[in-house]
Amino acid sequence: MAVYRRESRRRPIIALIVITSLALISLDRGGNGAIATVRHAARDAIAPVQGVVQDAFHPVSNVFDGVTKVDGLEAENAKLRSRVSTLEGKLSRERGVGEEYSQLARLLDIPDVEDVTGVVARVIGGPAGNFERTLTLNKGTSQGVVVGMPIVAGDGLVGKVTDASRTRATVTLIDNPGLGVGVRTEQSREQAVTQGRSGDKLLRLSFIGNPRTKIAEGELVFTAGVEGAAYPPDVPVARVVKIDRQRGELDPDIFVEPLVDLDKLVFVKALRWPPRTSSPAGDTGTGS
Amino acid sequence: MRWIRCFLLIVSLVVLQTALFTSLRVFDTGPDLLLVATIAVAYERGAEAGAVFGFVGGLAIDCFLSSPLGVSALTFALVGYGVGVFQSGLIRSSRWMAPVLGGIGGLVGGMVWVLIAALAGQEDLFVAGTLRTLVIAAGYDALVAFLIFPFARWACGDHDLAHR
Repeated sequence: MAVYRRESRRRPIIALIVITSLALISLDRGGNGAIATVRHAARDAIAPVQGVVQDAFHPVSNVFDGVTKVDGLEAENAKLRSRVSTLEGKLSRERGVGEEYSQLARLLDIPDVEDVTGVVARVIGGPAGNFERTLTLNKGTSQGVVVGMPIVAGDGLVGKVTDASRTRATVTLIDNPGLGVGVRTEQSREQAVTQGRSGDKLLRLSFIGNPRTKIAEGELVFTAGVEGAAYPPDVPVARVVKIDRQRGELDPDIFVEPLVDLDKLVFVKALRWPPRTSSPAGDTGTGS
Repeated sequence: MRWIRCFLLIVSLVVLQTALFTSLRVFDTGPDLLLVATIAVAYERGAEAGAVFGFVGGLAIDCFLSSPLGVSALTFALVGYGVGVFQSGLIRSSRWMAPVLGGIGGLVGGMVWVLIAALAGQEDLFVAGTLRTLVIAAGYDALVAFLIFPFARWACGDHDLAHR
């Protein structure tokens, strides 16, 4: 008798839970404002406690990083030294060209990423789940960080703000599946879109304007900056690291590696883009 | 009193998941603390308690994920229900039950989450990298189960045999 009562009580409860969950999923997919409000309230409520826990366990995180990442540090150090010397040489050669471009840009009133103001924020957390590539910033709407703002670090593009509560903002990184960035290649200036892949740090270069264009390994890609774009033009994004021609010369699989080390960010800048003198671009959700 | 302890357990695990374990990642993967807690509660208290705890805990962590609200809630509720239904046939006294349940439950729960998230519109989850992530996460879940199962037992309070 007791068993029958237990079984008959379980079924309505689990049915109610399933129906409620499906309803919530549907509402959230539809962009329901009440659900966003609940999310933001939860994040703001827990933010002070998160800060205390992070400060308290900071030494533990450092030890953990030291143990799990020590193997890669020496190799990374050597790689970085080589890159620095290459870039110093390139910078010297391009100083003359850079000055001419700056003069021309000023004459033509072309907006440049250097002219864009923004909000500097600290990265205080990574993704809470295993199937998303996001960061949490210590600033939100009350400090001027709003949804749609491009995020950059010293080396290049990091991602875009996709959610913001009063005190916290969530940045979706450029290697998150589902966030495409409109780019152009360095040499041929061919337009394409980067696409992240689950469990892989490399991005695929897709929707290349002309598939026959020769793209070489080592070539950089920059934000395309077309009209109404979600990102300022000419922000460095990634470097071509692999070209797979198994499907033929006309349909190569091109993989790029983000220039910014997205796992080691401490400070980033949220850009006020587009600049306030022009009307805001719509957020397409996939960049452009 | 039991509900207060369960609430405290959920809040504590959400804080740890979002503040501490975002840094303690192995091969870019972290554990699912609330999934492990759901398995522990279902093991201690049965299917109904597991489903309800999983729903509430999943909803709590969904507030901090970019996936649609309700995906983790549904996943954890189903896993909690499943573990609760089968727990009566399990050996009660083995000290290895926690990591075994945590690991297997974590793997199954991860797969269910991927399936539900894909149906809810999350893109590009059915790739080889996802399977690797699920296996690593399951191993991590087995490890943290040693710590979470005792806290879940405390939150559940005294066993009430009439509920089994």
